[in-house]
Amino acid sequence: MKNPKMLTKIFACFLILGMISCESFVEIDPPNNTIITESIFESDATIESALANIYYKMREGGMVSGNFGLSIALGIYTDELEYYGNNNNQLNLYNHNVFANDITISSWWNHAYNIIYASNDIIEGIDNSTTLLPETKAQYKGQAFFVRAYMHSLLVALFGDIPYVSTTDHASNSKEIRMPVQKVYEHIIADLNNAITFLDSSDASKERVIPNQSAANALLSRMYLYTQKWEKAEETSSKLISTFTLETDVQKVFLKHASETIWQFKPEGKNIKNTQEGQILVINFVPTQGYGLSDSLLTAFETGDLRATNWINSITSTDGLTTIYYPYKYKETINTTANSLEYSIIFRLAEQYLIRAEARAHLGAISDAQNDLNTIRNRAGLNDIATTDAMALIDAIHQERRVELFTEHGHRWFDLNRIGRADEALRAIKPNWRPTNVLLPIPETELRLNPNLKPQNSGY
Amino acid sequence: MTKNHKSVRWRRIFGCNLLFLMFTLPLTAQDLLVSGKVTDGQLPISGANVLIKNTKKGVVSNFDGRYSITAKATDTLQISYLGYTTVTIPIQNRTTINVTLQEDATALGEVQINAGYYTTTDREKTGSISRITAKEIETQPINNPLAAMQGHLSGVNIVQSTGVPGGGYSIEIRGKNFINGSTNPLFIVNGVPYGSQSLEAPDVSAGINGSLVSPLNAIDPNSIESIEVLKDADATAIYGSRGANGVVLITTKKGKQGKTIVNTNMSTSLGQVTGFRKLMNTQQYLEIRKEAIINDGFGAFLENPNFDFIWPDLKSWSQTRYTDWQKNLIGGTAIRNNFRLSVSGGKENTQFLTGATHLKETTVFPGDSNYKKTSINNAINHQSANQRFTLVSTASFTFEDNQLPSADFTVLANTLEPNAPKLFDNNGNLNWENGTWANPLARLKRQYNALINTLMANMTVSYSLMDNLEFKSNFGFNNYDLESYIIFPSSALNPNDGVDSSFSSLTTNKGQRKSWIIEPQLNWEQQWKNIRANILIGSTFQKETSTQSVQRARGFPNNQLILNPSAASSLEALQNSYSEYKYMAYFGRINLNYQSKYFINLTGRRDGSSRFGPNKQFGNFGAVGAAWCFSKEALFNENTWLSFGKIRGSYGTTGSDNIGDYRFLGTYSTTGFDYNGTSVLEPTGVFNPNFRWETNKKIELGFEFGLFKDRILINTSWYRNRSSNQLIGVPLAATTGFNSLVSNFEATVENTGFEMEFSAVKIINKNLQWTTTFNFTQAKNKLLKFPDLKSSTFSNKYIIGQPLTIVHLYHALGVNPDTGLYQFEDYNDDGNISAEDRQWIVDFAPKFYGGLGNIFSYKNLSMEFFFQFKKQKAYNSLASGASAGLRENGSVNLINRWQQTGDMAPIQRATFGRYPGAGLGGQNQSMSNAAVSDGSFIRLRNVLLSYKVPKHMPSDLDFTVYVQGQNILTITGLDVADPEQTSNAILPPLRQLTLGVQLSF
Repeated sequence: MKNPKMLTKIFACFLILGMISCESFVEIDPPNNTIITESIFESDATIESALANIYYKMREGGMVSGNFGLSIALGIYTDELEYYGNNNNQLNLYNHNVFANDITISSWWNHAYNIIYASNDIIEGIDNSTTLLPETKAQYKGQAFFVRAYMHSLLVALFGDIPYVSTTDHASNSKEIRMPVQKVYEHIIADLNNAITFLDSSDASKERVIPNQSAANALLSRMYLYTQKWEKAEETSSKLISTFTLETDVQKVFLKHASETIWQFKPEGKNIKNTQEGQILVINFVPTQGYGLSDSLLTAFETGDLRATNWINSITSTDGLTTIYYPYKYKETINTTANSLEYSIIFRLAEQYLIRAEARAHLGAISDAQNDLNTIRNRAGLNDIATTDAMALIDAIHQERRVELFTEHGHRWFDLNRIGRADEALRAIKPNWRPTNVLLPIPETELRLNPNLKPQNSGY
Repeated sequence: MTKNHKSVRWRRIFGCNLLFLMFTLPLTAQDLLVSGKVTDGQLPISGANVLIKNTKKGVVSNFDGRYSITAKATDTLQISYLGYTTVTIPIQNRTTINVTLQEDATALGEVQINAGYYTTTDREKTGSISRITAKEIETQPINNPLAAMQGHLSGVNIVQSTGVPGGGYSIEIRGKNFINGSTNPLFIVNGVPYGSQSLEAPDVSAGINGSLVSPLNAIDPNSIESIEVLKDADATAIYGSRGANGVVLITTKKGKQGKTIVNTNMSTSLGQVTGFRKLMNTQQYLEIRKEAIINDGFGAFLENPNFDFIWPDLKSWSQTRYTDWQKNLIGGTAIRNNFRLSVSGGKENTQFLTGATHLKETTVFPGDSNYKKTSINNAINHQSANQRFTLVSTASFTFEDNQLPSADFTVLANTLEPNAPKLFDNNGNLNWENGTWANPLARLKRQYNALINTLMANMTVSYSLMDNLEFKSNFGFNNYDLESYIIFPSSALNPNDGVDSSFSSLTTNKGQRKSWIIEPQLNWEQQWKNIRANILIGSTFQKETSTQSVQRARGFPNNQLILNPSAASSLEALQNSYSEYKYMAYFGRINLNYQSKYFINLTGRRDGSSRFGPNKQFGNFGAVGAAWCFSKEALFNENTWLSFGKIRGSYGTTGSDNIGDYRFLGTYSTTGFDYNGTSVLEPTGVFNPNFRWETNKKIELGFEFGLFKDRILINTSWYRNRSSNQLIGVPLAATTGFNSLVSNFEATVENTGFEMEFSAVKIINKNLQWTTTFNFTQAKNKLLKFPDLKSSTFSNKYIIGQPLTIVHLYHALGVNPDTGLYQFEDYNDDGNISAEDRQWIVDFAPKFYGGLGNIFSYKNLSMEFFFQFKKQKAYNSLASGASAGLRENGSVNLINRWQQTGDMAPIQRATFGRYPGAGLGGQNQSMSNAAVSDGSFIRLRNVLLSYKVPKHMPSDLDFTVYVQGQNILTITGLDVADPEQTSNAILPPLRQLTLGVQLSF
């Protein structure tokens, strides 16, 4: 206090410093339990975690999951599965009592677009990364393109015209309009071609649990089939048929080491060793709240079909009066085994044989088509198909798809729709069936939040 | 060119020198010692403040009224004493100045009111500020400062959330402003913002205190000098963004110059629940139970021995035993012992106060649960000899240790079967009655414990750069640490269940909040002939970090190790969060005062918050307040009854950043899951830099009157606050990948109200004085605007034109005499009663509330009554159970049930839930208008009788004995224990009786 002059100056300086110190004071570091988006793309570990999120979510919920995804839900919606429980969500699909506020439908929609956002974020963010090697960048980007295509491929098959979302900009995404089906397929094919250029065909995971170039090709050939691009379908499936070998033993097709698997989900491993499909579809006693195979599917198998004996099982009630047949492709429930025996398979080679058979039949290569079809039939212990008539052969291929791919990812429903036979197949067995049921309704809340999605699919 | 250049330089030099001169003005006047005596004309006045005007330098007159003070010959003395008119006397070179003070009932002009960055007085304030002081707080045996304010302040609605010690309070100042966001005001303790949100985790203490642990418990009410509540724009705009919900300023006691004073206060309180619910007795209960089982078609099973285990209350238990579970489980007496010791004193330049408080409070529950709190607080004031430099430093440390059962026993007390078995068997062990019931006392083994350390420290330094220019800076630091756990040992379960310690679990919570603040300020004051100007500028830098981690450990080798998480077989992280909040601001105030008649007060703040994205961080807030003290006009000079009259008004904006941290960032978060051995990072936030401050526009008009020498004071105000730019999570189309996004929504919420504070002092004679205080608040909340409410996620919650506090209920149509079932209005005519039929609207916000206090003092005896009242709707006993016949006890009203076709009864047929429609109907009835009654009440909140033992000379001992009652009597029509706590699962506030002594020497 002796020298007020000095003090005054110090105070003045301090004050001025305080006043002008820049407004950047209010900028903060990110919290330590979250990572800001930009830094995700700075290391392999974080971007792999971002991709792991996508596969984790696909496995646990939404359309691809074994937990009331398409495999089971479309099984009861079509003529594959009967439902014995009393859960309204299931009953509404089983009885074709679906309204625009159906929560299964809206959860599929939301889940798919959530994953699409995650893939778009990677596609957009990865180019800005300066730290990643170009080769690894390509792998990540390829996976993201593949995921985006895959999610849209399921949405378009269920809902018809849909928004094709390819940015992360919430302002424009919240106002998206619906894109015509053909356009959507063009986008999917373009994304898959991108994915194929970025991805390589090696299996870094050694267990085919991360999609690679082959997975992209598998979806691409399916897309060519759906869009009737027969040459391209044949060409693409041929690539896979020359890369993978068909499992010869029907019993081993759904084991985790099956040679024909192109892409499968790795289970959680600690509490869940095997697949959710096995957990849900295997019936342990009767009466049940679960799902049984429909009579129409059971009678679709020819006598001597090994798939009918190996991929189907039955259980009879203690009084001996009721017998229920259930899908038995996956035989293990989630924690019955010490080690994982079965993974949930998304793409496998048998489908590619059937895609190529159908494409070749359409292209007039009848004997080639027969060969492909017979490869699948012979494995199931069935005789060669004799017909040389293209139309009859195509029908035989569709029948083969039904018994080969039953309760797998909605193949039956998508096939019925693409060949225009849904009405014929379901009219008789679903009392509430209306021809407009070929498309599911756009979720009501989405129409409300984004009126650009209007009009609703007809019939809802 | 050259000339110009020169002139600029010359000006600069001149400016610098001027500045230099201003800062180095020397002291010239000669100091002298002035002494004298202060009297009221006859008797000496001891304890009068003798202050050198416009400084902080002063002394207090001694026992004989004598004082002496060193001053400059040119100074002016200002002598004040509570209850007397202040006089100012220029020294004019005199060394002896005797003063006679004139009695004045109240002294509006003298009491300094803390307005945060500045002080004002009742006469001069342009804004709306309510306050209570140590006088009102000290006599209440309470644990939380908010409890002291309950009912005393207009516009402030405080509700105690539980009667369990160490629990929380909710506070709302002038209503609910924001759709998404709390009503918590900004709390400032000695100039430092203090986080008032609970850091307790629901996983640990949802059962016992609703995980609401008020950090304000750490502030010892006895250490508080005053609490000011800033309400309108004029008062709050200087707090800018944080002022929207009002500001509560808490100032702790400081030392005073004079001899060292030791003050002790010891009290013991006995607390009990205010009343029991009227529940069914065993006979009534069993009769209805049996009837229910027969009604539901299960009568045959009453004779079936297989059901002995399912319905033990009807089969295996005694059919005649009756236990009053309320008496057993919540009927105890909570004893609170409170001891405070403080020492204060100091010389002319340095004063100190140091105090310590220890409090221990038990519960009304069985067992030896208790809450302990120890706090130490210090305050030091120092002024340099030349009075230019001052320092005020305060620090307090509080330690709380709360040991409680894991769950509130109230729900069991209200629902246990009246014929439930005895608690102990003949050997004195817990009785499990062959595993047919869960012995409630086993819950005592599931313990909850919270240890809370709170450190608050602040320092304010100021330096007078010139006589009228002061530099000041405030530095503060707070650290709040909460560590709590709940244990669930297997021994809390029936030993016959065969559950071992591998099922035991421990859940821990560690929360910490740390903040610091620096606020440099410049204050300039100038008095011209008619105008006084006061200009303040300053800035704020604040940083707050909070962390929280909640973990659960399960499976212990034995129950002895249950507090050791490393012994557990599994450890799971339930919550792990960290957040950082930075805040900076510039603020200022210009106050002009013309002849103490006209006042203008301009305040403003530029605020920056880290909660907003780039370019949206800063917001500007400001207010203008004006007052006209019309009683100073010549017209009123001769008026004998109007001693004070003022009209004041204000308009301005405040804001809020109450949305949580980091919401603008695009983020990925860990989820704890993995795929193929790679842990999952999930996108959790989309980069969203577009949202900004919520704003709250406040307008206020007030009239203040003082009558008969200010013996009667009336203070009224009308306000209207409109909050817009509401920050809410707006639902987004799923195609964006997210379901909602924080944005500013064009919804507007309006709060209007009328407030009045009244006080009157009647001096009946020299010995008897009567003081009355009254406050009244009428408030209305309304949602003015909400675009597309119908299609929003809020459509089932709010209605345009209605308050935010509404609840949607079913419309009860009574019991159908034919079916015996509750009926409800089917609003949407779809043939069944579902959530869409909840269309009956009830507003639970109080329509008006207030308090009435009376103090009588006769010689050394003083008696106080304080009543609180509220007009409101509240849930009645039907809300906690509208079905008779369930396996739980309920209100005795349930016996008035429908029994046969044609019965007109208020309660539906007895059912145990199996009769079609009866179970759901009972639940719906609890959520219908029938479960709501008039919950208005008048409560005798405080009664105090104190006696000050006459002084025996020459001892300086002050000795006061007091008896105090808290929450003594509540008059209400409601059939539950407390109209503010109507749940049957939460312990309502207790009634407390306190005996205490106060000693000072």
